[in-house]
Amino acid sequence: MRARPPRLAERLLAWSAPAEHRDAMLGDLAEEFARDVLPALGAVRARRWYWRQALGSVRHNLASRVRRLPARGVGRASPQPGTHPRRHPHERKGDGLMQSLAQDVRHTLRLIRRAPGFALVVVLTLALGIAANTVSFSAVDGLVLRPYPFPELDRLVGVGTMYPRLGGELSYWENLSAPEYLDIREQSRTLTGVVAWDMGNRQLSGGDAPLNVFSAFWWGDAFPTLGIRPHLGRGFSQAEIERGEAVAIISYRLWVTRFGADSSVVGRAILVNGKPHTVVGVMPPRAAIYGTDLWLPMGWDPRALPRQRRQFQVIARLAPGATLDQANAELETIARRVEHLHGAERPEYAGWKMIAATWTEASARFAKPAAFVLLGAVGFVLLLVCVNVAGLLLARGAGRRREMAVRVALGATRGRVLRQLLTESVLLSALGGVAGLGLAVFGVRALSRLIAGLPIRVAGDVTLNGRVLAVAALVTLVAGVLFGLVPALHAARADIQGMLKSDGPGTTASRSRQRLQRVFLAAEVALSLVLLAGGGLLVNSLVRMSRVDPGFDTSNVLTMRLTLPWERYDGEAVIRFFDRLTQSVAALPGVRSAAAGTQFPPISFSSGELRIEGREFAEGDALPTALLTVAGPGYFETLGLPLLRGRTFTERDVAGAPLVAVINEPAARRYFPGEDPIGKRLGVARGDAWFEIVGVVGAAANRGVDVPPEPEVFASARQLPGTSNQFFLLIRTEVEPRGILPAVREAVRSLDPQQPVYMIQTVKEAFAARAAPRRIAAVALTLFAIFALALATMGVYGVAAYAVSDRTAEIGVRMALGAGRREVHRLIARQALLPVTIGAVVGLAGAVALGRLLSGLLFQVRSGDPLTLAVVTLTLAGAALAASWLPARRAARLDVVRAIRG
Amino acid sequence: MESGPFLGEFEHLVLLAVARLEGAGYGVTIRREIERRAGRAAAIGAVYATLERLEAKGYVSSRLGEPTAERGGRARRHFRLEPAGAAALARSRRVLDRMWEGVELEPRPGAS
Repeated sequence: MRARPPRLAERLLAWSAPAEHRDAMLGDLAEEFARDVLPALGAVRARRWYWRQALGSVRHNLASRVRRLPARGVGRASPQPGTHPRRHPHERKGDGLMQSLAQDVRHTLRLIRRAPGFALVVVLTLALGIAANTVSFSAVDGLVLRPYPFPELDRLVGVGTMYPRLGGELSYWENLSAPEYLDIREQSRTLTGVVAWDMGNRQLSGGDAPLNVFSAFWWGDAFPTLGIRPHLGRGFSQAEIERGEAVAIISYRLWVTRFGADSSVVGRAILVNGKPHTVVGVMPPRAAIYGTDLWLPMGWDPRALPRQRRQFQVIARLAPGATLDQANAELETIARRVEHLHGAERPEYAGWKMIAATWTEASARFAKPAAFVLLGAVGFVLLLVCVNVAGLLLARGAGRRREMAVRVALGATRGRVLRQLLTESVLLSALGGVAGLGLAVFGVRALSRLIAGLPIRVAGDVTLNGRVLAVAALVTLVAGVLFGLVPALHAARADIQGMLKSDGPGTTASRSRQRLQRVFLAAEVALSLVLLAGGGLLVNSLVRMSRVDPGFDTSNVLTMRLTLPWERYDGEAVIRFFDRLTQSVAALPGVRSAAAGTQFPPISFSSGELRIEGREFAEGDALPTALLTVAGPGYFETLGLPLLRGRTFTERDVAGAPLVAVINEPAARRYFPGEDPIGKRLGVARGDAWFEIVGVVGAAANRGVDVPPEPEVFASARQLPGTSNQFFLLIRTEVEPRGILPAVREAVRSLDPQQPVYMIQTVKEAFAARAAPRRIAAVALTLFAIFALALATMGVYGVAAYAVSDRTAEIGVRMALGAGRREVHRLIARQALLPVTIGAVVGLAGAVALGRLLSGLLFQVRSGDPLTLAVVTLTLAGAALAASWLPARRAARLDVVRAIRG
Repeated sequence: MESGPFLGEFEHLVLLAVARLEGAGYGVTIRREIERRAGRAAAIGAVYATLERLEAKGYVSSRLGEPTAERGGRARRHFRLEPAGAAALARSRRVLDRMWEGVELEPRPGAS
């Protein structure tokens, strides 16, 4: 068989060749291949020869095709035979688009190799800016904008409530009662798949160690409402829900970690609180809302529960065709109907509202302000990065004036020069983008680990996903064009003669470039000042928060939660268990005292409406509310809440004895102004018993230090057996609190080896967790501000240094004429510091204007806080002075003779 | 003074090859002529790109021949020198001759 030319090479040649010569060219090579090359060289080398021919021709072919494009496509007259089309000399070899692009890229790479320092600074600056943006966007996207993997998230809604007579706070959390859920489910046409749920803790036994599992209890099948299918098995049936059958759905995570991803788990029984439950389904990955690893049917008939027991959340989907506005209008009708029917017996219904919001919105409500501050701040950082890099390119453009002038003089069009410069900036920004993405990958991983380690439950996860990548790519490209455009336009507009003639000062080009450089500097300073002011205000808030007296000694208190299963502990047994536990823990070395309580400052979630004996509230009056805490013996002493009046609970306050209560100082002040509360009687809205107030304790920061302490009513656990089966164990230690944890675990195990403990944290950590969003915002903004300050300082240095090199001769003349070093120093410093001043003024105005956006995160600090603004302005001024000092000193020490010669 | 555009170096070589082949020039022979006489290995694409430019200037003209099996059924394109091409070659030569006049690069025998 005769060897023939390599097919792929032929195809390449055919593809690249102009149609007119395609056949001739291919024919020539085929002829030569068969007649001469093959017999002389043999098949292998002949084929290699053909490949060389083909590859060597592609460039020429493409060039000659591109050359003919305008004549064909744009309708310009084709060149007459015999005339020589005008072409710029250096473009003789073809100015095809592809070829010139390749030229530009090659040229840029050459420039980078020649001055790696410059490229490194540009790429690093961009990388940091882009990484900061990508990480921040990943965090906001993953935690706030789209925390759930559910489809059509904008149609998944939560129903919030607001009771004007109970303080008027909008809540989406433990806010609805069972009858209210039924009202919505039965009357709403705009909502479908209405389900209510509650959360709590369950023990999973049967493995090596008992496991506390955060669980959700459902009225209804959550899968269709969430829009997902079970990974295995099915959701709860209506019958299972209604009868409260012993069935369970486990999370994907639990399925993998506890059951080794064994599909035969469906249909098997697991022990929940010691009782066998049949697993009917496994959730898909990431569907474990709020980290609930176990789903169970609610087990109660919603019709049997009272209207004031508001401990449920409702989620639903908008019915096909319905809008959120329509749903809200309908909920308003339902609320009014409920008020009309039940307003007489339940006064809090007066003017109450039900408000539907997308579930994302409802659950990310508190993170949102911090998230948008973060996004705004990184936007500023990126803008700053672009301005800074533009400044760098501009300064570099100064060094390349001659190169550009020569190009233009040799016939390069302005468009061609512009394209070259834009190619450079886009290439640099692409490199910056790639480097930034690399940094972002690390950043996102670190952030994800950080969030996993937080003591608070966070919905969603931080991942580098497609959307985030797209945003990063867009940001990179925009940055490239943005920071390349201004210097490029500047260079392309430059006056050739001036540039060729002289490199010295006073030329138009040099002056307009300096002007532009100063505009850039002013912009950098303004942007940095805004960031510095934001960081300063947040740090100031944190400092003020740390100075707030929490009302008790927060150090050395270890806390943990225990949920005793109802199945094995009735009301009295719970009290007995905690009495014995606190006694044995208090006897441990290093422990001063121990107590149990349903909540403790700052973790206070249980609150309710109060009744005050002999007090009637007129229609429209706010009804009294308070935090309701059930406390075991030694609660006040262990926390160190000071007793102001009366007494705390004693041995005599047991079940059967008259019910007593202790209130805190804010409750005394608000509900008994000018009276002695001791001896007065209170009731909680749920029951009809009366509690006599026997004591008043000092106010503790029961909702965190950033809000004033709320009224709080304490009841004795011993008097109320069966009220609660979950208590926090509070341990005041004399040693490092975490150190005693093993001994405490052992004490729990010796009482009940099946009993897990969870939510282990110190009181200090609990306060820190509450302040976490503010702290994260403050830390992020401060880091951005430091980065911004560094960039602005570089900018000042750049302008001053350039002023020195540009005006060397002038400085020499001035010195020769008698100017002292001080004058020269001042001359240069002024060059850099004038734009700094202008930028600072603009930045201050911006800081005051934008500071209002921060107001939700500020604490005891106004957005225009003069002290903060003064401190950050002085910091910036100090940095600017320092940065201009070095070049100015160099100018002042110039040798006169050498300076004049240039 | 000579007027008219100058030939680029490779254009010069290609045009001379076409002239030397006296009407028998097509891709294969033109390329080989340049390779043999000037010692330059040229890619076929470069040759055609230049020929196209020369044709646009009116220095050469081309016509299609018959397709042959050896060429995979593709026709040859034959190139012929046009009067304008001949004039351009003559002009280039005159210019070069004048530039060479009196230039001695190699040492004359006996000198030194």
